Amino acid sequence: MNFKTQRENFRSKSISAKEAVQETIKKVKTDKLNIFINCFEREALSKAEYIDNNFAKFKDQPLSGVPIAHKDIFCTKDLITTCGSKMLKDFKPPYDSTVVDNCNNSGSIMIAKTNMDEFAMGSSNETSFFGPVSNPWGENLVPGGSSGGSAACIAADITSISTGTDTGGSIRQPAALCGITGMKPTYGLVSRWGMIAFCSSMDQAGPFSKDAFGCAALLDAMASHDLKDSTCSKRKNICYEKSLNDNLDNLKIGVIKNIEGFGIHENILNSYETSKTVLQGLGHELKEIDFSELSSGICSYYVIAPAECSSNLSRFDGVKFGHRSTKQKDISDLYMQTRSEGFGDEVKKRILIGTHVLSAGFYDAYYLKAQKVRRIIKNKFEEIFKDVDLIFMPTTLDQAFEKNRESSDPNRMYKEDLLTIPANLAGLPAISFPNGLKNNLPTGGQLVGNYFSEDLLLNITNKIQEVTDWHKMTP
Amino acid sequence: MDKIELKNLLFLARIGIEDKEHPKIIEKLTNTFDLIDEMNELDLDEVQPLNNPLELNNVSREDSDNDRNAKKNFLENSPESDEDYFIVPKIIE
Repeated sequence: MNFKTQRENFRSKSISAKEAVQETIKKVKTDKLNIFINCFEREALSKAEYIDNNFAKFKDQPLSGVPIAHKDIFCTKDLITTCGSKMLKDFKPPYDSTVVDNCNNSGSIMIAKTNMDEFAMGSSNETSFFGPVSNPWGENLVPGGSSGGSAACIAADITSISTGTDTGGSIRQPAALCGITGMKPTYGLVSRWGMIAFCSSMDQAGPFSKDAFGCAALLDAMASHDLKDSTCSKRKNICYEKSLNDNLDNLKIGVIKNIEGFGIHENILNSYETSKTVLQGLGHELKEIDFSELSSGICSYYVIAPAECSSNLSRFDGVKFGHRSTKQKDISDLYMQTRSEGFGDEVKKRILIGTHVLSAGFYDAYYLKAQKVRRIIKNKFEEIFKDVDLIFMPTTLDQAFEKNRESSDPNRMYKEDLLTIPANLAGLPAISFPNGLKNNLPTGGQLVGNYFSEDLLLNITNKIQEVTDWHKMTP
Repeated sequence: MDKIELKNLLFLARIGIEDKEHPKIIEKLTNTFDLIDEMNELDLDEVQPLNNPLELNNVSREDSDNDRNAKKNFLENSPESDEDYFIVPKIIE
């Protein structure tokens, strides 16, 4: 069921919040794709009863009476939050993250926390301590990552909305691989408070749903100015859901010259060409742009993200919270053993890369250079947005791939993020939407907008979805 | 990267990896640095580094005590604590 229908059913009292929750929990319990890490049945039922008993208070809230699943990176008060890691497998945060708090206040009911790559490091959901997630479109396929559980949850029709986070593509890539809509907002639009940090200068939370309508309503709930996050911006006074009704005429949409040169599979390119004609059919003008700098984003990202990760993850030392080894001989050994036991291979690798690029003697050669490349990417976007309103490109290089395929060639996996990383480096908003079905698997198209243009991105995606059926495809 | 450099790195990051695994780790790290080194082909001399994507204003708030920072909550999450203290192995003999 799509989000709009589900919310309307609650508002018209044709189904109670409790009934919606019971139905969803049934699906969570029979899930065979390993989508969830923990389900909170008792808490969900009691919240649903509270909402039913206070119908008038919640009726007009953006997410009224709708069950939601949160990525297990968002802290939930007194409810286990693992971040996909052994390090936090029993961690019960003392507070709710702002995102969870906002969603609770907006009338949604959290059913479960979704599986994810460990500490959000991965593009296939295979680095989770709790095992890989299967793609609803094929059990042997990955759902993408790191928010693989949240994307699969929507594609498998378990909830109609879920939350994710995107540091290098972790919302958009799984959205594309699972055939749903997912958005990374402008850096700073959604508070990062209580969202376990990976790369603080790029991490950003965002919505998943089948369509732009669900994403708009969820973003209305998620975004807020937050004094607890010093990088959180003052959001525009705007209702994303209402702005979907605004007329859009004659937008200039940038399409990248020679994009096939980036190693994109022909299935993706075919869908891309088809959706370009849809955009033209809606009255928009396509304009070729040069973006040859795009590919250097990868090098910059794989320096900056590990650098910030090695710093952020230094807090896991077995002293204040999380896993503690029982094998330690002294304090130094306590740190060493705890971290060796608590972190998985991919996280260890990224900590080592980060430690190396930040260590004396290597800082200028790596970290400083990467920050300069980041400036080049940002400047290039600014130059492009003088000429066009939006940029359109595919989300990924390829469709959902088989499990274990990429672990043999990690650089290939890293390169998968080629088309998503630039928006993170520049802090720009971007949305991925389903734009075709090839070999019975979905493909994704991506629109990147200027800073705080979420309303425009959601609106144009909604307009595309009014004249196409790609977002209605089911596995 | 050689074995001595790796050992130093593992110590800095406080991560232990068995000696027999070292060649595999070195290979993985070298692979990633090959990818990163593509950066060296760019002319970056005149470019200013960028450490945050947005020119944001700092958000400030009153520096007051609140229930979020209740000591009890945080000590409860510790693997081992005693009254007001986190317990760790003895540091000085």
